[in-house]
Amino acid sequence: MNIGQIDTGRLLDIGYDSCTASCGNFMVLDHTIMESQCRIEGLVVLPLTQAFEKYPHVREELFFNIVSRDANDTTRSAAGRDPVGYYVYVHPGVKIEEPLQAAFLFGETGARQFIHNIIEIGDGAELNIVNGCTTASHGREGTHVGITETYMGRNSHLGYTMIHNWGHAMEVFPVGAVSVGEGARYISNYVGMTAVKKIVTNPIAHVASRASARFYSVIYSKGESFFDTGARVMLDGRDASGEILSRVVSEGGTVISRQFLSGNQAGTFGHMECSGLMLNEKGVIHSIPELRGAHPDINLAHEAAVGKISSEELSYLMTRGLTEEQARSLIIRGFLDIKIEGLPEKIQSFMEEIISRSVEGSI
Amino acid sequence: MSFLEIKGLHVSVEGKEILKGVDLSVDEGRTAIIFGPNGSGKSTLMGAISGLPGYQITKGSIIFKGQDISTLSVDERSRLGIGLSFQYPPAIKGVRLRTMLQTISPAPDKIAEYAELLNLTGYLDRDINVGFSGGERKRSEVLQLMIQMPDLLLLDEPESGVDIENISVIADGLRIILEKDQPIQKRKRSAIIITHTGFILDYIKADIAFVIMNGHVLGCGAPGEIFEEIRRDGYTKCSSCFAEKFCEFKDNI
Repeated sequence: MNIGQIDTGRLLDIGYDSCTASCGNFMVLDHTIMESQCRIEGLVVLPLTQAFEKYPHVREELFFNIVSRDANDTTRSAAGRDPVGYYVYVHPGVKIEEPLQAAFLFGETGARQFIHNIIEIGDGAELNIVNGCTTASHGREGTHVGITETYMGRNSHLGYTMIHNWGHAMEVFPVGAVSVGEGARYISNYVGMTAVKKIVTNPIAHVASRASARFYSVIYSKGESFFDTGARVMLDGRDASGEILSRVVSEGGTVISRQFLSGNQAGTFGHMECSGLMLNEKGVIHSIPELRGAHPDINLAHEAAVGKISSEELSYLMTRGLTEEQARSLIIRGFLDIKIEGLPEKIQSFMEEIISRSVEGSI
Repeated sequence: MSFLEIKGLHVSVEGKEILKGVDLSVDEGRTAIIFGPNGSGKSTLMGAISGLPGYQITKGSIIFKGQDISTLSVDERSRLGIGLSFQYPPAIKGVRLRTMLQTISPAPDKIAEYAELLNLTGYLDRDINVGFSGGERKRSEVLQLMIQMPDLLLLDEPESGVDIENISVIADGLRIILEKDQPIQKRKRSAIIITHTGFILDYIKADIAFVIMNGHVLGCGAPGEIFEEIRRDGYTKCSSCFAEKFCEFKDNI
């Protein structure tokens, strides 16, 4: 398969749009890098193997560093292969408005795709990345393994948005770890709106002093999908903060939503919220919020709720002339519409558009 | 034929009969006030007319614009021209007021104008009623109705929990819907207003008042006169005199 055979609509569905302004592009089809472009000074976008040659520290200090080769079967299976993926580096102090677009496409039926990305953000630098993953068509079966190691310097910022648009026959195992430097801000958004055979992902953030890590995820589970997703935030430095917020809508399948917050130093603050909306009796939402305190001067809290659409809210909207379908759609879209402080308006609008389209298509 | 005509209406809530044969009619362009003590069935009547779930019509009919609407769903009744202002409107997390108004509106350009009139401009991008005070919720109800522009307005205690300034703002909006600047013969929209306090009468001129007690309409008359009697003598003492006045007044308006 070549890039010309890929439906551009599928690329748009994951935020990869050549017409939209971006600071760079990176695209992988199966195990081949199709595009690797950088359009801005102070930013480096390179295939990882090229980065190994040009910047020795990438292999020696960053590759399989905060993600261990022996972490699990997924990492062990990836460790023995030549890495395919990107190295992204933002020079210290460089603040980039337009997002970096990256797409990981799966085209070979029955194959296993291994991706390894490394992100390095210099002190005081800022970047937003929109990663999209999809199959060339929704019937394809196979396995995707994606490892992402992220290193953030002091007072830096990274917005990392992941759009999954896999097919119902795909098994997906993303592994992520982030080192959030002193005073840095990390925001992760995960959007999974299509049926998938299995997704298992539970990224971890190590948060230094005065830094923050926030994980947001919206999942619409349908069919026989199986999601085992979550986030772990280790508040390792004084006054570090963390937030984990997940919204799950189920009209089928199983969603296990795991959140773990650990307050390890004085002044750490963490909050998690996991909300599930059950549309019928076909699905399961299993929410597992965990808090761990290892210092008396911490403030950690969680909220978790799973329930159905309120009939009172439905009736209220219907008294305004909305049909039941319109009212349900409005409530579901509202439920999934998380307002993320610090996320560029363009990415927020794009997420809202994807969510709206998916909800309209489902109701 | 009346714009709205309710005949022998019996309504049960959770198996308990609340309305026990209500007869009531409202003409086109007229505003009716309903008085009644707590538990008399006023809100049940509003729920039954608007078609909210939980209000089971066991007998009788509700004829609106010549059509029996008693079996229509709540949204069908709304699209036919019935609009309800809730006494306790729910909060809907995640759904912005502006999004809802744009969904219901045939004229989205009016949203900004009416929001400004009701001092709600800053609330358009907030979730519906989330964190709103009592007065803000009631103003939000009126804003939604102004965008909806129903032919029959059902207002369930629009002034409860609202201070004087807010009542005045709410009334400004309601007067626009009800075309109160027009001569009575030219008005097309009608309203039924439930009130405990009667404060709303200082701002919205009503054409007729009904008194409901124990699931029955006891009588109707001039709103100001009936309100005075209730204030002076209370509902229980007045019940017999209301009955005597039944419909005498209505035939003359």
